[in-house]
Parts: sequence; structure tokens; C-alpha cells
Amino acid sequence: MNLDFSEEQQMITDMARAMFEEHSDMDAVRKLEDDPKGYSDGLWKQMAESGLLGLTIPAEHGGGGQSLLEAALVYEELGRALASVPHFVSAIMSGGMLTEAGNDAQKGAWLPKIATGEAILTPAWLEPDRGYGPVGVQLAAKADGDGFVLNGTKQHVYFASSADRLIVLARTDAGIDLFLVDPKAGGVEMRQILSQSADAQYRVTFSNVKVSADDRISAAGSGWATFETAMYDGIVLLAAQAVGGANKALDITADYCKIRTQFDKPLGAFQALAHYLADASTRIDGGRVLVHEAAWSRANGRSIRRLAPMAKLFCCETYADATRMCEQLWGGVGFTLEYDVQLYFRRSKQLQLSWWDTPYLEELVAVDVLDS
Amino acid sequence: MDFDFTPEEQAFADKVDKWLVDNHDPVVMDPTRENFTQLADTPERRAFMKKLAAQRWLGMSWPKEYGGQEIEGVYEYILNEALAKHSAPQIGKGVGIIGKTLIRHGSDFLKKEFLPKILNAEVEFAVGYSEPQAGSDAANMQLKADKVEGGWNLNGQKIWTTSAHFADWYWVGARTDQDASKHTGLSLFLIPMKDKGLEVVSLPTIGKDTTNQVFFNDVFVPDEYMVGTPGMGFQYISEALDLERFTMFTLSPSTERARLLIEWAKEAKRDDRQIKDDPNVRRLIARIVTDQAVAKGLSVRFVCAARKGGKPPTIQSSQYKLFATALSQRVCKDALDIQGAAGQIREGQDEGPIRGRFEGAYRATVVETIGGGSSEIQKNIIARRHLGLPKNF
Repeated sequence: MNLDFSEEQQMITDMARAMFEEHSDMDAVRKLEDDPKGYSDGLWKQMAESGLLGLTIPAEHGGGGQSLLEAALVYEELGRALASVPHFVSAIMSGGMLTEAGNDAQKGAWLPKIATGEAILTPAWLEPDRGYGPVGVQLAAKADGDGFVLNGTKQHVYFASSADRLIVLARTDAGIDLFLVDPKAGGVEMRQILSQSADAQYRVTFSNVKVSADDRISAAGSGWATFETAMYDGIVLLAAQAVGGANKALDITADYCKIRTQFDKPLGAFQALAHYLADASTRIDGGRVLVHEAAWSRANGRSIRRLAPMAKLFCCETYADATRMCEQLWGGVGFTLEYDVQLYFRRSKQLQLSWWDTPYLEELVAVDVLDS
Repeated sequence: MDFDFTPEEQAFADKVDKWLVDNHDPVVMDPTRENFTQLADTPERRAFMKKLAAQRWLGMSWPKEYGGQEIEGVYEYILNEALAKHSAPQIGKGVGIIGKTLIRHGSDFLKKEFLPKILNAEVEFAVGYSEPQAGSDAANMQLKADKVEGGWNLNGQKIWTTSAHFADWYWVGARTDQDASKHTGLSLFLIPMKDKGLEVVSLPTIGKDTTNQVFFNDVFVPDEYMVGTPGMGFQYISEALDLERFTMFTLSPSTERARLLIEWAKEAKRDDRQIKDDPNVRRLIARIVTDQAVAKGLSVRFVCAARKGGKPPTIQSSQYKLFATALSQRVCKDALDIQGAAGQIREGQDEGPIRGRFEGAYRATVVETIGGGSSEIQKNIIARRHLGLPKNF
């Protein structure tokens, strides 16, 4: 057993931290709130040039071919900085699905561009009033000649206005299929939905949108399995992001508790408050090891059917709990927009609700533990 | 980064596991007793410890000059976890706490006197830190040690000394300088438990174990039985407590309990329906398994920090103890909630689910968040030393 990072892994962490500190300081984060595009070209370019965009894309498709462990290190830093970029939807989810199941033409067309940031792809998965599981996918894809016609609505489609392709989860006669859809195609309409995190997410409506059979990813009916595989990797990274955000919120709150006095003492000198912080720190450090174990397991070819949902379940809950506690310690200023802690507080809850929420993750763990 | 044991470590884990199967003893490895078995004073347990000593599994991380093998602490971690998994007695305070502290700070005389006996499982220790007015605040000890010709004269009282009713030697903190600060006036002593000035009064607990009060009536301790430098006692105790939190609160009993609960829940029925299909049960069990994985991560983190040598990793130790002991209680509570009315049936009876294992454990595990430094003390340590918060609470 050895929990140390390699020199190269430490360099990735340092590089990501420095980059996000420079290009995603709190002013930059605030400027992007409710922005229709939701990310800055400057940071996106920096990430492309440093290899972070293609970090997990296979080397033969122009990426860095790094494992989930290296990606987890980057995502912790991304979480610390609250950096808003379409990396997760494009490089991780879309890149993951194409790597897993795309044909040569699809991989050749999109993976190199994802790695360089020239193209952004994003999954169109959730639907209004429907859940996270396969039954929630009801957008209809009816066979029509040598292609399909899509009808339905997707919600929580991140960075859709910047996307070059949507990867749409649709229900066909065979089950669930994935289609690469040009958002400029006729019949696609989108409008921004404002969220708790003030990010760039869209409701996308598909009205008789025609797609070619060539744009289906992999065999008929295999879409959910492909999506799920990418999700298991993805939630490990979101757990890492949660650890980073929680840790940063804890850091700024602990610092505040050293300087802000009340009843002639620094806040941190009150045991009632110090113990909140000690508990949060323990949960954050524990969550971080779980993330590393999940990412390391994946990197070593082991199943993460249990570890991945456990990591997101624990870390996102820790993030939400810790930032609620931090709000309490900041007192009145904490819930004003002027102070930064609320940025973390808002994003933590949204992260917990997104990309499989607590009850869904609990059930995934329970299936693995009780039904196997 | 590597979450696996090395091949050598794995081979040792397998060897220990096999040895514990081959040497199964129904008295000392009673599965209903869990990790507090070490408190039972039975000839069988002492014989078992001698068998462990014969394997050279006691003091493996000690320096070779003191009879150890100078191998990394991870081997002791593996041994501890395996012992707990098999409900076998833990290796005890001698190796991990007293031995290691003597190696760091003891005189040649004390090393010669005690280290070989510890390695050969010939001596049992009780640890005397707590006092009625001190509780978890070790710096607030009041047991008075007055300097007299050739030694010290001790008067006062200790409480919560778990092994005092059968130990051979008492490892005791006492105030040797009444004028010094709370943290600098303490010293450590070794005292034979059979000293006529010691009076042990047992206190039964809500678990199955006994703890004790110990009264000191003019107990004379020769100078050579003081450990290290006078006034350094608090520092030594702090170091030793870091070791204790890790060596005494292994995760395996809790892991084993979770495993038993899951196995039971997979089969059990209520109102002709499978318990495991109840959404609330599924939720509780998912959370138990998740939190167990986090606790394991925190323990691995401690082990990896400890193997680097130097001072014990205090923060990792406190975080592990804080999280794991609270979890241990919660697993028992959740198990009883899942078992419902039958959960109240007292341990050992066939009518109880898993023969009442969780009923007994529910009573026993409350000691874990208090013993070895309460959860509140751990939080203070984390707040001050890890987060750098001000000291004046």
C-alpha cells in the first residue's frame, strides 16, 4: 500500500492548480454566472495547450491516454477553483462513450477534435419529470427509411449552445440508442434554463429531427450500457470535483474563523464551531481516499461497480453538508452574494442532484451488495 | 499509488490468516466477544499471546537491537486486522504503546527490564491516564507524585483503567511538578500492580467488560521506574495515544459486523417479505458499506503515513479514530433498526437475529468514542493541529 503520487501525477496537480488559479479566479467564476456560453475561451485554450482536454482520450486519437487517476487529480483542482468548462460533458462523457463504443469513423471524426478543444460534444440524457435510470429515457427515435426521426425533450443539457454535436439518448424499438445529432439540424430548438449553479444548461426540444443510421453509436439497443460505462467513470471524477470544492470551502472558512472575532475571541476558538470544521475535514479527507481508490481500481482494470457510486454518494453529500456548515460559520455575510462561500454552497447541492443523485446511487450500491 | 499490499505483505496476510484458522481456539476467539476479547484474563488468552510471540509476530516493527525485525508498521496493521477479523485478542498495549514509547524515550534499564518480556508475552500492562476530574483531558491529571529519597511517592486516584484487575504492571501518568504548566508538570511511571499501595476497585460496564478505579496510597516508585525525562509525560502520552488509537481501534470488527448484517439481511423475512427489498433497509445498508469503505481509506491513509517513520501521524490517527468509532456505533444502531423488535433479544440467545450479536455490540461500542481519547478530543486535535484554529477553547 502506498498513497503517494508519482512525480508526474504531482506535476499534473500543480499544473492544473496553477492554471485554474490564473484563469478561473473568483472574478472569472462570477462573470460566467448565467452566461449563455458558460466558459471562457482563455481557459479552454490553456487547457487544450496543456493537454488537459485530451487527458483521458486514447493516444491514437490525439489524446494523452492517461488513466482515471490522473483525471481525478485534475478534477479535484477544477472543483477547488469552481472552473466552469465543458470538459466533463465533452472529454469525459462524450469522449468516453465514443471511445467505448464509437466506430472508426466516429472516433476519427470527433475524438481528436475533443482532445484539442476544436469541438465540444455533450450528452442529451435527462428528460423533464423523468428519472436517472434507463426507464427515464423516453425520447422517441422512430425508424424512418435508412435513418431515424427524433421527437421529445431533453433537459439539463450542459453547454448545448456551444456543442458541435449532441449525443442523444433515445428510445428505439431495440431499446436505448445513442445518436450523434447536429444541434443546428432542423427541428432542434434550445433555450437556457437558469440553475442553482448559474451554469449554462439547456432544455432541448426535438421535433421530427432526422438523423442518419450512420450517426448511431454502436449496435442497436446498446446505448444504455455505453452511457452507463461512461457514467461510472464520470461519477468518480465528479466525486473528485466535490472533494476539491469542499476542501476549498473548508479552507476559506477555517481562515475566516481565525480572523473574525466575536465575544472577544476568534470564531475558531469556540469549540462548537471548531468541531464542525474538524468533522468536515475528516469526511473530506476520507472521501478523497475513496475517490483515489475508485480511480486507481479503474486504472488497474478492476470493477468499480460499487466503488464509483459510493464515491459520488459520499463525496457529494460531504460537499453539500460541509458547505451548508460553512454558511453557518460565516454568519450573515455568508449568504450575501458578495462573499465567495455561497458560490461553493450553491454548486455543491447541484452537483449532488446531477449525474445520478443520492437515492439512485444508494440503490446502485444496494443492488451490488444485496442482490448479487 | 497502490491500494494493494505488496506480494510480501499479501503473503504475510495469507500466512496470518491461515495460522489463525489452524490455531482456532473457541475461548479466545469467541465470535461474540469481538475485539474487546483482550480484556478477558484467562489462561487461554495468555497462552494464545505466547503462541503469537513464538511466531515472532509481536514487536515486528521494533528495531533489531531490541528484538524486533525492523519491518514496516504495515505488517502490524495486517496482523491487527487479521486478529480482529478472527475475533482473536489484540496484541495489546505492551507492544504498540509501552514498548514503542520505551524504545523512544526509556532508559537502558527500563528497556532491558521490559522489552524482552513484552516480546515474549510475559507481561500484561494497564494504562493509567484518566482520572475522575481529568476525563479525556490528559493534561489535567492530578495524581500527585512527590519527590522523596530515591524515588517518588504517589497519592491519588485513577479511573477507567480497563486491565487493572489482571495486569502485572501499571503505566501511569502523574503530576511531578505542581508549579509547572498543565502540559509540562507530568511524568510517566511503571509500577507493579501488586504494589501494596494500589487498591483496584472494579466497575462493571453496560458491555461485557470490566473497567476499574485504582487508588494510590503512598505508592513508592524508585527513580529508575520513571520513563524518560521528568515533566515530559504529556508529550510521551500524546505520542502513545496516537499509537493506541490505531492499534486498539482496528476496523475489522466493524467490517465483520457489516458483513454479518448483509448476509443476514439477504435471507431474513418479515411479513413473508424479504427484508432486503425494503427501500429503507437498502438505503441503510448502502450507506453502511459506503462509510465502511471511507473508514478503510482513512485507516490505509494512517498506515501509509506511519510507514514513513518519524513521529506518529497524529492527524490521520485522529481522523480515523473519530470517523471509524462513530461508524462502529452507527452500524450497530442501524442493524437494530433493521432487525426491529427482535433486535432487543440479548446477545447469546438463539431467538435473537445472529444470536443477538448486534444487541451486544450496540452496548459495547459506546466505549469506542470515549476510550483512547474521546471524539471531542480528536476534534480538538484536528481543529488545532490540522486546521490551525486558535488554541483557547
